[in-house]
Amino acid sequence: MGRILIVDDTMFMRTLLKNILFSGGHDIVGEAADGAEAVARYRELKPDLVTMDVVMPKVNGIEALKAIKAADPSAKVIMCTAVGQEQMVKLAVKSGARGYIVKPFQAPKVLEEIKNVLSA
Amino acid sequence: MFDEEGYRKLFVEESRENHENIVNNLLALESGEDQQTAIDEIFRSAHTLKGMSASMGFDAMEHLCHSMEDVFSLIRNGQREVTASLTDLLLTCTDTIEGMLDAIEAGGTPSDEQSGSLVQELRAFTEEESPDGPEVSYDAVPTKTPVEPAGEADGRPVYTLTVAVDPSSSMKDIRAMLLLQNLQEIGTILSTTPSQELLEDGKFDGPFEVLIESEAGEDALRTVASGTEISLLALSFSQAPLTVPPKVDEQVQTPEPALESQAAVPSPQVQRAAKNEKSREIKNIRVDIERLDRMMNLVEDLVINRGRLELIAKKHGIKEFEEALSMVGRSVSDLQNLMMGIRMMPLDRIFNRLPRVVRDVANHDGKEVEFFIEGGETELDRSMMDGLSDPLLHIIRNAVNHGIETPEVRQASGKPAKGSLRLTARRDKDNVVIDIEDDGAGIDPEKLRKKGVEKGLMTPEAAAIATKDELIGLLFEPGFSTADAITDISGRGVGLDVVKKTIASLKGTIKVESKVGTGTKFELVLPPTMAIIDVMMVHINGMRCAIPISNVVEVAQTRLEAIHRIGNSEAILLRDQTLPMHRLEDMFGRAQKGDTLVVLQNNGRKCCIAVDTVDGQQEVVVKPLSRIAGSCRGISGITIPGDGDVVPVLDVNTMI
Repeated sequence: MGRILIVDDTMFMRTLLKNILFSGGHDIVGEAADGAEAVARYRELKPDLVTMDVVMPKVNGIEALKAIKAADPSAKVIMCTAVGQEQMVKLAVKSGARGYIVKPFQAPKVLEEIKNVLSA
Repeated sequence: MFDEEGYRKLFVEESRENHENIVNNLLALESGEDQQTAIDEIFRSAHTLKGMSASMGFDAMEHLCHSMEDVFSLIRNGQREVTASLTDLLLTCTDTIEGMLDAIEAGGTPSDEQSGSLVQELRAFTEEESPDGPEVSYDAVPTKTPVEPAGEADGRPVYTLTVAVDPSSSMKDIRAMLLLQNLQEIGTILSTTPSQELLEDGKFDGPFEVLIESEAGEDALRTVASGTEISLLALSFSQAPLTVPPKVDEQVQTPEPALESQAAVPSPQVQRAAKNEKSREIKNIRVDIERLDRMMNLVEDLVINRGRLELIAKKHGIKEFEEALSMVGRSVSDLQNLMMGIRMMPLDRIFNRLPRVVRDVANHDGKEVEFFIEGGETELDRSMMDGLSDPLLHIIRNAVNHGIETPEVRQASGKPAKGSLRLTARRDKDNVVIDIEDDGAGIDPEKLRKKGVEKGLMTPEAAAIATKDELIGLLFEPGFSTADAITDISGRGVGLDVVKKTIASLKGTIKVESKVGTGTKFELVLPPTMAIIDVMMVHINGMRCAIPISNVVEVAQTRLEAIHRIGNSEAILLRDQTLPMHRLEDMFGRAQKGDTLVVLQNNGRKCCIAVDTVDGQQEVVVKPLSRIAGSCRGISGITIPGDGDVVPVLDVNTMI
């Protein structure tokens, strides 16, 4: 089970994801509401995994992902995405994202992806 | 899957924020402000709304937001332009979303009854004359050129993997891409069938094959090749490939140089942000307002009981107790101030709705109005916020509807065609002052004079000598409207009298200044909070009464000879001013001495009351009268000072 940092600009999504991850036995070590905060929190908390929203104000998920990977190439980041965001996710994968989960979240799929990325 | 109701509140709250963001940025777009930011913001909010509504299973809302997102995706890429008709359509969409949110808040699930046609219209917009612009391509990967396999492959194990992506996967291209990327970490991909390019574009059906050279061993390959939505159908070992496999392009083996450099050196923006916010944690939390109200009630109880304890301490004269109590007292005061601060909200919360209102009314009336908002950061207690919203809306509508003239009329009188409407808020000493000022036609006192008589609000004689202020005061009389015809914008049967009453219920005042031909200014003065006020405690006939300090002008001694009877009422001559005098006998019985006068004022008018003694000034918590007691004319609420007595708070507004 992992220590996870949740990044999303809405508390609604963070809460939703938090509850799913809790149910999977994970520890939520922190939350961030935009990309800049995500990078700062990552450095501070060194989580096992980050769930990263793509579309966010100020610094978006892709930029934050790149900054995190630059600071820690072994960082495990999975993108939270929605239908219609394929191009962005591809860019994220090329930038080092390890996986993705699709909104609306389905708990079993989310947990499976997290488990797979954590164990890889 | 999850407790839907538990999320509903959060959903509605955050959706409203995003909805508001869309509306404001649509208006910003129209006014020609920073276009790119506005477009990005609308796209982001529509996207967020889509994701949230999909999570809640509100399909109709999801579809609508999705269509809006699609439109803005095209606009963002420069493939479509924002036109006036599109703005109208999008604003209609936001109205529908707002309606949906109302329905959701009330516990319902919106249907696509209204939204269905909007989705069609938006689709028509995205599908119309698709210009040359192809799908946006981020993809910088050049067509691969097969490379001769390097000799290192010799002797290293090579495997063929047959892999399938779960057909239900919503992004099978990305699954394939992730798999190849993960495999790349433990080996070298020699080839794929179909080609890696086709795989990454999602152009494949059914299983595909990967030829990989790796020393990681079968188990590792099996683990990597069985990820989420990926299943390994077969794994076979082959010492050397039979055919010379084309080596996969460099881009995949070593990360794209462009991306790598970006990854290594984060953009300056990210760097700066990371530096600034290094130690930043989530500093804001959301708290249900009901909880804050409950907390506020508890703090109020504490304040009351602190007063009681102080009295007990005084009575028994225990020094240590008094000392300890003064410490507690300080904490309670701090707590109280803190609570008041927490409950404060920036006026932007209600100001943000207004640009839309101005736009709609102006469009409806064929007027041109530039709307300025200043001081939206000024804070007010949230309980005031709800009450202030409607009066403000009404005054703003009025200003556009009745105040600002049509462009033709304006130009004829030498004004710019575009009228200006200015909404400003500021903190002034203990009050919050909100001004609504237009540069329109102004209010004509002569029209008011005529109308006042017509409506029977003034006798012709009184009207003839009425001052401008008195005439303007008519605006706030029930049933008075200067509009020649009732419009469906301002004239919904709610007049300025209701506005005034509402502002008064918030303990505020409203004032109008107007100059014919130049414009009108409404000034609202409000206390920042209603719950705790300074009062003067007085005794009348052995009973206590609290008078808000803001209404007290002075305290004077009565000279009997200065009291005169005028008809049924009394008046007193005080320093050359004749003031009506009230004894409040109905409420308290006759004052025993009644030789002390408290002069009160409200809205510039004065009166005085006779009391026995003045006890002093005190900060108290005002509680509204319970529903059982109902409203009581002359009393705005009750307060419980330290001794546990229940003391009425005088509503000076109704007396003058």
